[in-house]
Amino acid sequence: MRRVYVLGGEQSDYERNWSKEGKSLTGMFREIIEDGLLSTNISIEEIDKLNVQNKIGAFIGNFAAENYLSQGHLGAFLTEVDDVFYGLPSARYEAACASGSVAIDAAMAKIKSQEYELAIVVGIEMMKTVNSKLSGSFLGSAAYFEKEAEGIDFPFPNLFSKLADVTIEKYNLDPNRYMDNLAEISYINYSNAKRNPKSQTRNWFMNKSQSSQRKTDSNPLVGGRLAVSDCSQTTDGAAIVFLASEEYARDYCKRNNLQLSDMPYIKGYGHRVAPLTFNSKVRESINEPYLLKWTRTAVQDAYVRSGLNVEDMDLFELHDCFTSSEYASLSCLGLTQPGKEFEVIESGLISFKGSQPVNPSGGLIGGGHPVGASGVRMLLDLYKQISNNAGDYQVDGAKNAMMLNIGGSATTNYTFIVGKD
Amino acid sequence: MLNIKIVTVIGANGAMGAAVAGIFASFGNVKVNMVSRTLNKSMDGIEKAVKSVRADSIRSNLVARTYEDLAVCIHESDWVFESVAEDYEIKDEINSVIARYRKPGTIVSTGTSGLSIEKLKNVFDEEAKSLYFVTHFFNPPYSLPLCELIPNESADQETIESLKIYLEQVLIRKVVVLKDAPAFLANRIGFQFMNEALQFAELYEDRGGIDYIDAILGPFTGRGMAPLVTVDFIGLDVYKAITDNLYHSISDLYSNSFMLPQFVDNLINEGKLGRKCGQGLYKLDRDSTGKKHLFVYDIKSQTYRPKIKYSFYFVEKMVAAIKESKYEEAIKILLDNDSEEAKICSYFLIKYVVYSVYVTNEIAYGIHDADTVMAYGFNWVPPLALLELFGGKEAIIEFMKTDNRLIPFIPSFNTSEIFPSKLNYRRYLRAKF
Repeated sequence: MRRVYVLGGEQSDYERNWSKEGKSLTGMFREIIEDGLLSTNISIEEIDKLNVQNKIGAFIGNFAAENYLSQGHLGAFLTEVDDVFYGLPSARYEAACASGSVAIDAAMAKIKSQEYELAIVVGIEMMKTVNSKLSGSFLGSAAYFEKEAEGIDFPFPNLFSKLADVTIEKYNLDPNRYMDNLAEISYINYSNAKRNPKSQTRNWFMNKSQSSQRKTDSNPLVGGRLAVSDCSQTTDGAAIVFLASEEYARDYCKRNNLQLSDMPYIKGYGHRVAPLTFNSKVRESINEPYLLKWTRTAVQDAYVRSGLNVEDMDLFELHDCFTSSEYASLSCLGLTQPGKEFEVIESGLISFKGSQPVNPSGGLIGGGHPVGASGVRMLLDLYKQISNNAGDYQVDGAKNAMMLNIGGSATTNYTFIVGKD
Repeated sequence: MLNIKIVTVIGANGAMGAAVAGIFASFGNVKVNMVSRTLNKSMDGIEKAVKSVRADSIRSNLVARTYEDLAVCIHESDWVFESVAEDYEIKDEINSVIARYRKPGTIVSTGTSGLSIEKLKNVFDEEAKSLYFVTHFFNPPYSLPLCELIPNESADQETIESLKIYLEQVLIRKVVVLKDAPAFLANRIGFQFMNEALQFAELYEDRGGIDYIDAILGPFTGRGMAPLVTVDFIGLDVYKAITDNLYHSISDLYSNSFMLPQFVDNLINEGKLGRKCGQGLYKLDRDSTGKKHLFVYDIKSQTYRPKIKYSFYFVEKMVAAIKESKYEEAIKILLDNDSEEAKICSYFLIKYVVYSVYVTNEIAYGIHDADTVMAYGFNWVPPLALLELFGGKEAIIEFMKTDNRLIPFIPSFNTSEIFPSKLNYRRYLRAKF
C-alpha cells in the first residue's frame, strides 16, 4: 500500500471573529490557502504544473455553510482565490464535526490509488454569523434533528449531558467524583491552550475552581449537568494540510533540504459509523463493555492498520466537543479500561506533562471548534508534533500520535495515526 | 519568579482598580485587599472585578476593606497597586501612607496613565524607590492585555526583570518596558492620531467635520472604532487632560498635533463630555417610539445634526477588497485614488507609522514595542505590520515625498532602523465603514 505523507499546513487564528471583521468565506479561503502555501513552501507554479497533469485535487471539509452563510458548493471556492485552481478537481465533504476527517480520508484514497500526487485538504467553518442559540439549532442537524433536536435549545449539550448520565449509571460512578473529573478535563484543555498561539481561549481565565463551580453567573448550566466550561464554544476557523504520495514527498524533501525519514506519514486510520440516535447507541451498549462501541472499534482499526498499539502513542488529539465526550473516549483510545477513565485523569497521565498527553493543543474546548475544520486541525497538530514543529506545546520526542474526530453524538468516528519511521 | 501572595489595590472601586484586582485574583490567584472609601464601594469593586474576568470563582480571593484598614492591608502585602485619581497631590498623599506601612521587599506600583514616576517616587525611601514602578494597564484589561512597565531611575534591575516575567507569565500580560515619558507609549501614539483627527475635523468643518473625518478613518483603516468615536468614548475631559499634558511636555516636529481644537474646550465647558454624559462629539437620542438616532456635533453651526452616512468611492472599493482578504489590493486602491478623502486617509495611516517609529525610538527599548502597544493596548493595526502592507520603508518614503505635509518627517524616519513586524495586520483591517 502506498504511503500518504503529510507535508504540513496551517490553521487560522481561532480567536478571530470573521463576522466582526466583516470578512467573507472567500477571504477565509484566501488566507488559509496563502498561509498553507507559505508554510509548506509550495508554489502556485507547482500547483499549476500538477493541475495540468491532473495529479492534484482539493478536498474541502465543511458541515453547515448553507445554514451559517446560505452557501453550498464549497468545493468551487478555491477558484475565487486564484485562477490556478480553475480546472482543479475539488469537492466538499460532510460528516458533521468529522467533516474534516472525511475530506482527509477521500484525499488519502486518491493518493493511495495513485490518481493524485498531491492533495490539498481544507477544513473550514464560519459560525459567528449567528447568535449562539441559533448556532446550537444549526448544530442540531448533526443529530437526528426531528427526534433529538427540534424545539430544544442547545441540543448537543443536552445529548452529551445524557452521555454523562449514562456513563455514571453504567459504571456506577460517584457523580461528584465524575463531575470533578470533567472539571479537570476542562481545566487541562484550557491550560494547554495557553501555549498555543492560534487557540481561541489563550487569553481566557480558567482554573480548576472555576470549571468546578457550575450553575453560577459566569459558568451557567447549558444542558443537563454540563456548564459552559464543559463545552467547546462557537468559533470561526479554517485549517489546511497538504498530503502527498511517497514519490512526491521524496522530491519535496530534496527541494526543501529535508529527510524523508523525518517526514510524518499516515500510518493507519479507522472509520466507523454508530447508530444515529443517542438512545440507539445506549441500547446497543447495554451488554457491551464500551459505551461508545464504534468509537472504540475505529480506534482499534487504526491500531491494527498501523501495526501499533496504545503504548506506542506519544500523544493524542481527541474530540472534546464536551468534557463528557473526552471522558468516554479515554478508554476507547485504550489508555484505560472502560469505567476506569478517572484513573488516567487523576494520575496526571493525560496532562501536558504526563506520559501520554491528550490535546496538547488545547483540543476543542481550549483551542476552538469550527466544526468542519476540526478534523483537519487535528491532523495538522499531529504533523506539527511528529515533525517537532509544535513550538511551546511540543511534546518532547513525539514519534507516533493518534487523533480521534467524531461527528454527531459519537456517530461518525474517525481516527488517524501519524508517525515517522 | 516573584512570590506574590497578597496584593492591596487602593482605589478598588474605580473601573481600572477593580479590573486590575480581577486580573490579580484570577490569573495571579492571590488574595486581593480591595480598598476604597467605604465598604459598600469595595463590595461594588468586587462585583466589578468578578464581572470583568467572568469568573465567580475569584470571589473568594477578594476582600472588601476601607481606608481605615489601610495600615494592616499594606503591611501584609507583597504588592500594593495604587489606582487613585490622576493628581500628584492625591497620589503623594496615598504614597506617604504606603511608605509608612509597607514592609521591606514590598513592590509598589501606580496605575497612572501619564504622570511621571520620577516625580511620584519622592515620598519613598531608597529601598522603596528600588521597588516602585508604573504598571499601566489598559481598559478593559481582560480584553486589552497590554501593560506598560516603567521603572524609576532608582529601580532594582533584577526586580524589573522578575516583575516583567511575573506580568507576562502569571498575569498573562503583553509587557513593554519604557522610559518615563508623558503618557508613555500607547497613549502617545494613539492620542497623536486622535488629536490630529480632531484638528482635521475642524479644518474640514465645511465638509461635515467630525463624522466626515471618522468616515475617512473608520474600521477599514485598522481600528475597532473610528478615532473620534473613541475620543467620545474616552470622555472629552479625560481626553483633554492627557492631550494638554502632552502638548505642554513635548517640543518636537509633532508638538502641534497635540494642540486641542477650541471646539472641544467649548463642549467641555458646556458639560458635553462624551458618551458618559449622553452627548459630546456625538449624541444618541431616542424618538417617541424608542428608536435610536445618532447625531453629531456640527463644529461650524455649534449644534447637533443627524450623522451623515458618507459614501466615498475609494472606501467602498477598499472595504470590498478587505472583505475578501485582498489587503494589498485595498492599499493600492487607496494610494491610486486622487480624491481629497483618500489623500487624508493615506496621510493619517502613513503618519501613524512614521510617528510610531519616531516615538518608539525615543521612549522604548525595541522597535517592535510600537506594534505591541497598539495591537494589545488599543486593538489598532500594528504600525510596523501596516508598514509592510504599504510596501516597506522605502515605499513609504517615496509616498511621503508626494505629500507636502509629510515631507518634514522624512529625515528622522529615513534614519530609523526598522525590523519586520512580528505581528500581522489582517485581523485589524475590517471590512467595515
